[in-house]
Amino acid sequence: MSIATTVAHSAQLTKRSVRGRLRQPAALAPAFIFPLFFAALGSASFNRLARDPYFSENIASSFLDYAVAGAVVQGVLFGATSAAGDLATDIEQGFFERLLASPISRVSIVLGRLAASMVVGVSQVVVFISLFVAFGARVTSGAVGVIGLIVSGALLGLAMAGLMAAIAIKSGSPEVVQGSFPLVFVLLFLSSAFFPRHYMTGWYRTVADWNPMSHIVEGMQGFMNHELNVDQFVKAWLVPLGISIVGIAFALRSLNRRLAAS
Amino acid sequence: MSAVVETRRHDANARSLDVIVALVRRSLLRVRRLPSAFIPSLIMPVFQLVTFSGAFGAAVRFLGIDPMNWYMPLNAIQGASFGALGVSFGLLNDMETGFFDRVLMAPARRSIIVFGSYAAAIARSVVPVTFVILVSFLGGLHTPGGPVAIAMVIMASVMVALSACGLALGLTLRLRNLGAATLTQFAIFFGIFLSTSQVPLSEMSGWLQACARVNPMTNILRFARQGFLGDITWAQTWGGLVAMVALLAASTIFALTGLRRFER
Repeated sequence: MSIATTVAHSAQLTKRSVRGRLRQPAALAPAFIFPLFFAALGSASFNRLARDPYFSENIASSFLDYAVAGAVVQGVLFGATSAAGDLATDIEQGFFERLLASPISRVSIVLGRLAASMVVGVSQVVVFISLFVAFGARVTSGAVGVIGLIVSGALLGLAMAGLMAAIAIKSGSPEVVQGSFPLVFVLLFLSSAFFPRHYMTGWYRTVADWNPMSHIVEGMQGFMNHELNVDQFVKAWLVPLGISIVGIAFALRSLNRRLAAS
Repeated sequence: MSAVVETRRHDANARSLDVIVALVRRSLLRVRRLPSAFIPSLIMPVFQLVTFSGAFGAAVRFLGIDPMNWYMPLNAIQGASFGALGVSFGLLNDMETGFFDRVLMAPARRSIIVFGSYAAAIARSVVPVTFVILVSFLGGLHTPGGPVAIAMVIMASVMVALSACGLALGLTLRLRNLGAATLTQFAIFFGIFLSTSQVPLSEMSGWLQACARVNPMTNILRFARQGFLGDITWAQTWGGLVAMVALLAASTIFALTGLRRFER
């Protein structure tokens, strides 16, 4: 099948996935409510930390400015897990089999879902930034920084959806996908998503130092709180891009195995 | 005549106790048969204890407070509440399978269903609380208030768990679907986090300080934490006691009226 056909099929399936997400506002709500709540909670609880000279000089001018990136990452991870859950539901309810029976590009079944996750990720970043700016946050790096954040959100959505899609295709069970979310949650909490690494101590700091999520979040925080520099793009774009490549490879391998078994 | 009345009253009490014991055994049997539903309520509070004290620790360390001492009571209360929530899932399952109708036919007072569930909630909530306390000792918890501090955190955890159980029962008996458990989870989550869960009242700003000031959970946390932050005083105790008793009374009334509505 030609690349153009694969792209066309993926676009159709992306449209279907996005529509499916919009039709389930109850499933989409946690991806917006919880990150916003945690960011509001953090900025009201830890704002006095912003008085610490190290924080105000090197990290952010307010805790709200600091919390934006963590909220974006949290929301995108919620959304990507739900998208993979939908893929597993397709398998469980037989829609996946119907797709296989139709003359459709096999790869587009996965790519459609992943692209939908990117679309949802982008809309989440736009909504979050708009809301936070309305409440007083500011993007120091300007319009390019906003684009940097949006692209980063899309890439992170792609990365997480890829890894979760691999689990969804392998298990074919939405429960297994949802059950693996706590692992994502652990990854998020053991990073600098909610609190700066500088203030962590002991083994917790070591884990956060090695956690790729810390670097992605800090790249995004860089767009929010500092002038543009290359380091932000490396952390916020290249790290999730690298994880995306691994995630998509895993997802396609799971797809091939499922196709071979069916 | 009075001897007959006394004997009947004694029999009724014995039957009520039998029903309570049966409900507790059934709830614990469910834990054994479906450990995957109970284990998260055991692991999550410990995970949160580690992450909160590890990530947010600096926020209270600035104030000279040991993070483990600050966060342990919060996570014990949270773990107990979510552990007790399992009773609501069990009730829903019993409604679906028809077992609840058989419980209603038992020759015992209706309120025993609520109090039996409370007894089951105590059994289910003590396990995560114990686990959190043990892990926090491994993580360097110290108790300036002595053993009474431990007793107070267990008491606060159990009382909040019972209130959560009452709320969950009341909602389950009214809604008769899983939405009741979800609503209870939301109530616990927001009730706990909109209090002094992360930092003391004096460190908060704006809307959160206003919420935490009127949230009864702030008094309960002050009650539970005092023995880990310094001496135990009556000034820090009475507010928590009032809040716990009021919450439990309100949730028990909600559960009992829910039961009455269910039977109608």
